[in-house]
Amino acid sequence: MIDIFKDWYEHRHDYAKEWKKRTKGEVVGYFCTYAPEEIMYAAGILPVRILGSHEPQDVTEPHIFGMFCPFCRDCLAQGLKGRFDYLGGIMLSQSCLHLRQSYTSWQINIPVPFSYYLPMPHGVQSKRAYKYLRNELETFKKAVEKWLGKEIKDEDIDRAIEIYNKNRQLLHKLYALRKSSKVPLSGMEAMYVTITSQMVDKAEHNEMLEKYINTLTDRDVTNDRVRLIFVGSEDDDIEFIKMVESLPAIVVVDEHCTGSRYFWNEVKQDDDRLMAIAARYIDRPACPAKDWPELTRLDHIVNLVKDYNVQGAVLIQQKFCDPHEFDMPVIEKKLKEMGIPSYNIEFDVTVPIGQFKIRIEAFLEMLRADELF
Amino acid sequence: MISAGIDLGAKTTKVVILADNKIVSQCLELTGIDQAQTAEKALSNALEKANLSRDAVNFIVATGVGRNAVSFANKEISDVAADARGIIYLLPDARTVIDIGAEEGRAIKCFADGRVQDFAINEKCAAGAGTFVETMARALEVDVEEFGKMSLRSTNTIAMNAQCTVFAESEVVSLVHAKTAKEDISKAIHDAIASRIISMVRRVGVEEKIAVIGGVAKNPGFIDSLKRGLEINEILIPDEPEFTGALGAALTKA
Repeated sequence: MIDIFKDWYEHRHDYAKEWKKRTKGEVVGYFCTYAPEEIMYAAGILPVRILGSHEPQDVTEPHIFGMFCPFCRDCLAQGLKGRFDYLGGIMLSQSCLHLRQSYTSWQINIPVPFSYYLPMPHGVQSKRAYKYLRNELETFKKAVEKWLGKEIKDEDIDRAIEIYNKNRQLLHKLYALRKSSKVPLSGMEAMYVTITSQMVDKAEHNEMLEKYINTLTDRDVTNDRVRLIFVGSEDDDIEFIKMVESLPAIVVVDEHCTGSRYFWNEVKQDDDRLMAIAARYIDRPACPAKDWPELTRLDHIVNLVKDYNVQGAVLIQQKFCDPHEFDMPVIEKKLKEMGIPSYNIEFDVTVPIGQFKIRIEAFLEMLRADELF
Repeated sequence: MISAGIDLGAKTTKVVILADNKIVSQCLELTGIDQAQTAEKALSNALEKANLSRDAVNFIVATGVGRNAVSFANKEISDVAADARGIIYLLPDARTVIDIGAEEGRAIKCFADGRVQDFAINEKCAAGAGTFVETMARALEVDVEEFGKMSLRSTNTIAMNAQCTVFAESEVVSLVHAKTAKEDISKAIHDAIASRIISMVRRVGVEEKIAVIGGVAKNPGFIDSLKRGLEINEILIPDEPEFTGALGAALTKA
């Protein structure tokens, strides 16, 4: 059953092209999970997340600084290599400077009919953020309507919210199964599911996910392994999680934007639909770039560690991702206070699996030292 | 009870044989291309020295970067766990161990019983590793042993930015062209390597006493740079520092 998700993951572009052909709808690539997908989906658009491919590349050098993060470079590389040639539009809901560079470079070098920069507020902890974003969403909605030449009706938005919330509920249900001492799915399998929810039509994803969850009853893949959490800014590296889980470790939960941060909270339906959507994005578990002055991530991570009975943490640092790096010492300290050892690892476009394996092995041995004495 | 520890490193393979936790034999071989064959050879040589047959060995634990190639091992452990275990056996006062192998530098903080408290490993670059030392000695056209001693005779301090082995080598070439004394260049290089290693030590937290293992521990120039950099007077070095990992492996419960 997981093969369906794996297939979507591996053939994401084929899926989008096929979807476009089938529905005659437009596909819009978005750069960051602050994108208000509900509005696009209501307009009949398939929003797909622009992610990298984890292959070495040499095409972004003229467009992005070498000290910008590997993720933003890998994303742009996909555009420059023509892999997203089916996109009718691109959009960025402002998150960080590095990803904005990918977006603006894309605008210049890979022109598409529709491109939209949404000034998602940084100060999400300000009370004024709700109204500000609500108004920006209204402008965005009008821009989409103008592009497609059709009105986005209230009932379309309601339907989109319903489908998106359903997906969030199902992903929550899937994650909750991993709290058990008998974990029914690996971290890698969970990663295939969460990432594909960012590429596949949600209605279709919901249908598959519901079926998939039903297949997990009585399944147990724990196999006496160390329960880990992955904490990071962004992580969609299948090779890395596969390697980690080939060792006596199982990833039971994550705190990053390709995982739990993407789906954690729902839109609370309200007559002011745009305000309801705005509130969802303002109140979601924050990206490190927006998580100030208060570090709200910390409590969230603490709760995940407790709820999922985590024994160790791998802190994944996308090279040059300053906002996340800034949070790391505090997270590390907090985990230490809780008696949870953590290990920092730095990601690039490709990761040296052999070297990383040696380190993760050493980390796991530290957690299970009794077995060596 | 006879146990064997095999440390299959990037450059050399080390074997330690223990009888009731006492060292009875050890052997070092160049690793070469065929890792499995080297492991076999090193083990049989070590057994021969101790006058033991292969059947007498109760269990074998492998460590080192090529440990997967030791197909006959009963267990594999990481270098980090092996180093900590080995150093506490040899030098029980050590709390931080610096291991410099051919391609990896490591700083490990350990508990008094040989368990690992924390560790750091150099990332994607040889600047804090043994290969770096050899490359630099070659650039100066001196053998590795002389290269280390030379450093102690230097009277000048030159700053060198050794982030990358290749760039550092070209920096050395520039110094040679500028007619800088070899002794001073040697010291600059050792200071640069030590500084890379010290960064790792500081990441896990400096806790005395500090021990150095691996082949580079025999280099007096490096040890001197390390002492100055860490501002400490004492650094512990086991008699045969390159065998510490293999010893730790042999001590591990299989």
